[in-house]
Amino acid sequence: MEFFRRTLDPVIALIAIAVLDIFLFLTIGAWTVGGGETMMTGLMAWLVLGDDLQRLPFWNLVFPIRADDWRIYISLGTLFGAAVGAIASGEFRLRVPRHLSEWVLITIGGLLMGIGIRYAYVCNVSTFFGLAPELNLGGYLAVSGIIAGAWVGSLIYKKVLEG
Amino acid sequence: MSPVAECLLAFLFGSVVGLLVQRSRYCNTAALRDAILFKSYRNTKALLVAMMILTVGFTAFISVGAGHPLEFDVGLNTFIGLFLFGIGMVLAGACTVMTWVKTGEGNVGALWALLFTFIGMFLFSLLWSWNYWPPAPASMTGEPNLATLQLGFANARTLQEKLGVPAIVFGLVQAGVLFAIYRAILRRERLQRERHRSEAEARAAAPAQGEKRLQTRAA
Repeated sequence: MEFFRRTLDPVIALIAIAVLDIFLFLTIGAWTVGGGETMMTGLMAWLVLGDDLQRLPFWNLVFPIRADDWRIYISLGTLFGAAVGAIASGEFRLRVPRHLSEWVLITIGGLLMGIGIRYAYVCNVSTFFGLAPELNLGGYLAVSGIIAGAWVGSLIYKKVLEG
Repeated sequence: MSPVAECLLAFLFGSVVGLLVQRSRYCNTAALRDAILFKSYRNTKALLVAMMILTVGFTAFISVGAGHPLEFDVGLNTFIGLFLFGIGMVLAGACTVMTWVKTGEGNVGALWALLFTFIGMFLFSLLWSWNYWPPAPASMTGEPNLATLQLGFANARTLQEKLGVPAIVFGLVQAGVLFAIYRAILRRERLQRERHRSEAEARAAAPAQGEKRLQTRAA
């Protein structure tokens, strides 16, 4: 199938995603990833710690844990859809970072993303595909924050690449 | 809609998004990083087009009271959070969507980034349980609260209610601004192409002149 042989124009892909996102906004709420990830964190922590987790007020007051939160399933669907796309196009391949520096950058990057999402109560997807198009004040704060962060991150990235 | 139906719908939406992102190599991190570092705008343009459609679509439906906009107080924590996130996504080379998509493609590094995103969130839950900042949703008031460094809450719906102007009007203004940025990028790309072409022509002309010099010397 042609769809799996050629790279799709990102503008076309994003137009389709935007139309679907409007439909989702009308039915349950705009596309988000961070909320679902937090719920998954809570569920995994609960599996490991059991009821001890209730001693952390965060999991009562901010994110009461529930497995039927729709936001979780957006991310699981993304994983599934990407795997289907990768397998059908022959692009599925186990890739492991080779250098220690890559592992360090990914570890720090992952931690910063997790902490950042929770400080803001939103992720980058909500920022660009939810808050900003809803003209939410938080959207403008978030867009300014992410551009400033990406700029600082790019400076660090450049230093690491060059050094 | 029942929770199960919501979860099914969300899974379906996610699957299509995962497929489209995988096939198009669209990346939110690249949309910002490549524009800053390499002055390359392939992903930035796609993001702007999506934001224009969403702005008009969301505000049109908000004008007639439809849709489910996000409603919670924002403030300094919103800026700080996304600032940390912005650094993190460039270092990790993937944002929230791309970590899931790349994991689906068999990328172990992306799975590692995802794992540490979860760990980061859990560490935050420890910190929050100690200092209770930013405020929990139940204690948000919707109004500015200087003690907690929060500005309250405002979006297209509150603008419409306060000013009596339909939300779509503000949406069209924002879409216009986004379009102006999009046009500026197209102009910049055209200038880049012209510069590359003139540089290539200069390079092509240089050896020819060298040859001429050699011929003259031989004569």
